Amino acid sequence: MKQVVVTGLGAVSPYGAGVAEFWKGLAGGACAIRDLTLIETDGFRCRLAAEVPEPLGGSARRTRADRLAIAAAGEALADAGLGARDCAAAALVVGAVGGGMLEAEAWYWRTARAGTRPASLSALRAVLPSAHAETLGSRFGLGGPRHTVVTACSSGAVALAEASELIAAGVVDVALAGGVDAITRICFMGFNALKLLDPAPCRPFDRERRGMSIGEGAGFMVLETEARARARGARVYATLAGHGMTTDAFHVTAPEPEGDGMVRAMRAALAGGGITPAEVQYANAHGTGTPQNDRIEARALARVFGEGGLLVSSSKSMIGHTMAAAGSLEAIATVLALGHDLVPPTANLATPDPDVPFDCVPRTARATRLRCAISNSFGFGGQNVTLLFRRSVA
Amino acid sequence: MARVVITGVGVVSAAVSGDSAALGAFLAAPFAPAAGALGAGAVAVLVDPGESRRLSRVCQFTIAAARLALRESGLDPAAGLGLVVGTEFGDLASTHAFADGFLARGPGGLSALLFPNTVMNTMVATTAIAVGARELALTLNAPTVAGELAVARATAAVASGRVPAVLAGGVDELDPVVEHELKRFGLDAERRAEGAAFLVLEPRVAAEARGAPVLGEISAAAWRALPARPWGVGRTCRAPAIEAVLEAADEARDRWEEQVLGAALGSAAPVSTLGRLLGRHAGLGVLRVAAGAWTARSGLLPATDGAARVERVRPGRGLVHGLARGGTHVALVVDAA
Repeated sequence: MKQVVVTGLGAVSPYGAGVAEFWKGLAGGACAIRDLTLIETDGFRCRLAAEVPEPLGGSARRTRADRLAIAAAGEALADAGLGARDCAAAALVVGAVGGGMLEAEAWYWRTARAGTRPASLSALRAVLPSAHAETLGSRFGLGGPRHTVVTACSSGAVALAEASELIAAGVVDVALAGGVDAITRICFMGFNALKLLDPAPCRPFDRERRGMSIGEGAGFMVLETEARARARGARVYATLAGHGMTTDAFHVTAPEPEGDGMVRAMRAALAGGGITPAEVQYANAHGTGTPQNDRIEARALARVFGEGGLLVSSSKSMIGHTMAAAGSLEAIATVLALGHDLVPPTANLATPDPDVPFDCVPRTARATRLRCAISNSFGFGGQNVTLLFRRSVA
Repeated sequence: MARVVITGVGVVSAAVSGDSAALGAFLAAPFAPAAGALGAGAVAVLVDPGESRRLSRVCQFTIAAARLALRESGLDPAAGLGLVVGTEFGDLASTHAFADGFLARGPGGLSALLFPNTVMNTMVATTAIAVGARELALTLNAPTVAGELAVARATAAVASGRVPAVLAGGVDELDPVVEHELKRFGLDAERRAEGAAFLVLEPRVAAEARGAPVLGEISAAAWRALPARPWGVGRTCRAPAIEAVLEAADEARDRWEEQVLGAALGSAAPVSTLGRLLGRHAGLGVLRVAAGAWTARSGLLPATDGAARVERVRPGRGLVHGLARGGTHVALVVDAA
């Protein structure tokens, strides 16, 4: 199988547009979870979220999520230095959940209340998650295999794993992959209905944690064969050395209590990369801040790496849970951590949970030598994904 | 790379429900355009009342078709089973119901039980639980070709050894809001339907070792964005000696697809279109692959000019081709077992 490396990064996050802003915010431990302004929050227990600040860029005629995706994907392609000929053969894999639902909801709300109709057919077509891939494919001339994966909160990570498989199998040499989601009413209301949102900014791995905070954004990577990257003199951020994708087949919303599916995903990633647990120094956790997720993820990490076997932190403590973008933004955070030898912190972590037997890097980033790191992403339906990154060797 | 074979078929639709034998019997007899909507109780034999109370309608279709395919295959999911499901619209009915609860009663009208169904992977989540699929599980969203795409992706996963076996399927439900809006925009010319279809895919060696029925072989599978030039299809298919083609495009794309298929394969291969008679949904894409395997086995091609009748073709190899709004096209080469 061919080695797959990361040669381009693009991010639009609650810190704003660009990978530099993203890393500056994470490394500084800045929490971007604030009052939610995009939608009405009257009557809800939680009124917070991590929104992408204006200006978004791009045409206001596009959906918010499409605008996030275009900005992040464009940055990744430019960062990798891919031209039109490269793009014509490149695969595109997008992880998405909400699609253009924010705009569709606005229409549905108006229809229910005032009987108005959507302005155009294009607005209707933009509703589905696959609309992002069509938009990006057309905008950047991506002519290789194209598909959209929906695995709930792990969608962005699955997109990267899928692209990696296409490259490793020799179907394509290069791919653009990542995830995108904008905040939607249904997502905000749904997690409120499930009582999974913390009224305060989320506190993953804290003994007093009360739930998650939602967010939005887009994260994309350019992945290609190591041989191709070396031949064209591309900057190689890291090697995507392995990945694991498993399913709990247990419950639609609750993880399997022993974390068996998570363990299988982590072990599959390690096996794929030929890496032992002792060689991994950092886990960018799924770390939602819900009592159940953090406890079970910690249990699964301990089964694979041993208690205290590696540093663990949650980007969601700073940028919220960006849904389909979470897996890819957190993968970018993991790659940047490797490149900077700096582990981003878990913000808002004041009282570590004794049931989490790891150093969760409270509040302040930690400088340490890193060689390998994993990024975990888990979704409704027990959809578990682990990505394993290895430091690039110049 | 492993050779990938079909060892089980499950179809739930208004026109035909059952395994490969039921599908073959249906395709062999003349049939007229079918109703699109599934009747109440269509899946009652396969989804017990306790389950059905907890499951949305589209999830019931999915589980029923998956069980039919697994039953025919005789595969034990505990040996390692992946799940790849294509859908165009997901569980929109639950999404409407969830939103309507809020619009009628505010936050107090929101259902925590409905919310997970608003995420498009709900059919995969519930089916994985129902059949015990614990490996790779993907929901692929695409206009028009979601079912074909699911089969193509699943074929690649089995061929590469990524998973021991995969249930690959497609599912969609007719949605009154979508139908209303398509009609309002003048896009209601194509026949639309609902239902689910699944194939069990596994390596030929494994299937033969356990004595499973081998219903066909998927010898090539590829998907690409819309090629700007006609030879794009040929590049995707890479399949000599195509004996018949089962394609599904709506009226607006037919001429283009005819040209590119002709350029790629020549004009000798007869072409059949099931979508116009059975109604398009993601399950149809998977049903067409099963039908392609049946044609490759039997040498019978459903000719679908207004009403279906069979036409004799040379058995051996068929092409299933799908072309989507938005540009994705999928090609699957299906060989007789």
